[in-house]
Amino acid sequence: MRTLLIGIGNGSRGDDALGWLFLNDIEGKDPGRFDLEYRYQLQVEDADIISKYERVLFVDATEELIPKGYALKKCEPARSYYFSSHLQSPEAVLYLCETLYRKTPEAYVLPIKGYRWELGEPLSDKASNHLQRALDLFRSSELYKQAQIKEIETEELF
Amino acid sequence: MSKTITIDPVTRVEGHGRVTIHLDDEGNVDETYFHIVEFRGFERFIQGHPYWQAPNLVQRLCGICPVSHHLAAAKAIDQIVGIDPKDLSTGATKLRRLLHYAQIFQSHALHFFYLASPDLLFGVDAPPEKRNVVGVAVENRELAVKGITMRKFGQELIKALAGKKIHGTLAVPGGVYKSLKAEERDTFLNGKEFPDIDTMIKWSQEMVDFMKDYHTKNRVFLDTFAAFPSGHLGTVRTDGALELYDGKLRAIDSEGNITLPDVEPDDYLEYFSEAVAKWSYMKFPYLKSVGRKKGWNRVGPLARMNICDYISTPLAEKARREYFEFTGSSVNNSTMYSHWARLIETLHCAELMKELLLDPDILDENDLVREGNERNVGIGIIEAPRGTLTHHYEVDDKGMIVRCNLIVSTTHNNDAMNEAVKWVANNVISREKTITEGMLNQVEVAIRAYDPCLSCATQAMGKMPLKAELYDHEGTLIGEKTKN
Repeated sequence: MRTLLIGIGNGSRGDDALGWLFLNDIEGKDPGRFDLEYRYQLQVEDADIISKYERVLFVDATEELIPKGYALKKCEPARSYYFSSHLQSPEAVLYLCETLYRKTPEAYVLPIKGYRWELGEPLSDKASNHLQRALDLFRSSELYKQAQIKEIETEELF
Repeated sequence: MSKTITIDPVTRVEGHGRVTIHLDDEGNVDETYFHIVEFRGFERFIQGHPYWQAPNLVQRLCGICPVSHHLAAAKAIDQIVGIDPKDLSTGATKLRRLLHYAQIFQSHALHFFYLASPDLLFGVDAPPEKRNVVGVAVENRELAVKGITMRKFGQELIKALAGKKIHGTLAVPGGVYKSLKAEERDTFLNGKEFPDIDTMIKWSQEMVDFMKDYHTKNRVFLDTFAAFPSGHLGTVRTDGALELYDGKLRAIDSEGNITLPDVEPDDYLEYFSEAVAKWSYMKFPYLKSVGRKKGWNRVGPLARMNICDYISTPLAEKARREYFEFTGSSVNNSTMYSHWARLIETLHCAELMKELLLDPDILDENDLVREGNERNVGIGIIEAPRGTLTHHYEVDDKGMIVRCNLIVSTTHNNDAMNEAVKWVANNVISREKTITEGMLNQVEVAIRAYDPCLSCATQAMGKMPLKAELYDHEGTLIGEKTKN
């Protein structure tokens, strides 16, 4: 199944990097298994991009309390709109995709709890721990197992 | 009982601003302010950096028009290495122009479809949950898809030229980093991955026609809403044609009389000064010869339509003629005509992009960078989507930046936006006992027409819901209205 991973955040702002680091780990260990998009924020036009996929996973750092510090949840389309043109929710982007392109990819969100967000700060130990567990959870999930592995040209192997 | 109405923040603009409207005891408007409450630091923290970093550093101040800052800075830094615009190679100039037109195209598309169209399609009194791009998607799917696709076209072209859609790099001191490859160029001509440039021209034309029809149907409102006399500033070619990348500065007053006669951009300090106000982080540029009170100018699409003699591409020129035939005057001082002018520019940029995509010079890998005799001062002026943008750098003998002055488009429009707010306050809110959602939105509609980028003009800090508060003359909160 053609799957897109969207990492949301800012690699320069402490635990806000969680979404990007998640994608980095996947690409480092499973190159080519997923298509990846790095985002500071979700935008309206991301509806166009996800319409090309059968499945999409949004990975984002969150300030909210989550029991284990991470969670993998189904994402349902929802008509909502943030007042800024460049900050939309996964649910709103999915809704736009459904409305505009008549396609509703199977979608999930994977929030990971973060703790510090200042510019230049490193990843916190707690967030790093949550990230690792979130990766373990994802790799044991059907999303991971069913993801399409891209065909690799013979010459690329040598 | 005196009251203060606060709109905080203004929505569907780039960045965060606040409006306060002060009413006197009888409910008449006493004062209005469009506060830019973000703080900006780029002019200071770029000091001490080597000059060649400027085009990449300064574009970080915006996620919507980074290309404009990249190119304005690049034009200034060219001069630091001794290269004036005429000294740049033909290929480098055309590649930079192509990048610039793609930027204006995508930015104008974003503004019209994402930010402005909800007001136009649903009216100023529509409920907030409907008055946004999601509402547009539900009500007018075709329009929304076209908007997203047009923005995508511009963004993809930017990516092909600069490596990334946002904060990429094409310009380097004295030229460009790379040319386009034929297969990259063909992506925008063959329509296989996304609609081609001819489709972009066609859709742009449709949007211009839509806007003309919209003006015909809503003429009274659009002619009068936030209309006020002002100066207009922009750049033109030596023959008077609209020029977006490298032209001479021209300004006119509200009746079309020349107030700045096609001067060299490098001499801007001779003609412009900047005032400050304690209630805003944004400066107030004005023409010295006219004075602080009347010397401010509108910039951007409305101003550019007013100051140019013609447009060099045929479809946009036809649209420009129809625009002025409709208004019946050679100068338009009606704020809401900014939208129509913006779409004419969108069409113009689409035509220019096609010209350049078909030009073999953009594929030439030779002579991309040139060198000259180094100087200590560089000034780059460009017509960004929102208007005239100035980057001015001074460096020491080691090439480290010691001074930076940025006058962004939104700064030029500072007085105009305040004037627009005052118009709405006087004509819509004054003497009204109840503040409605629609009234507040009309304040925003007037500001949005200028497509302000408050992040460009300052620097984002925090986020807040839109809130209107009423205070009595003793400063006691007696009512409030909030929307998220």
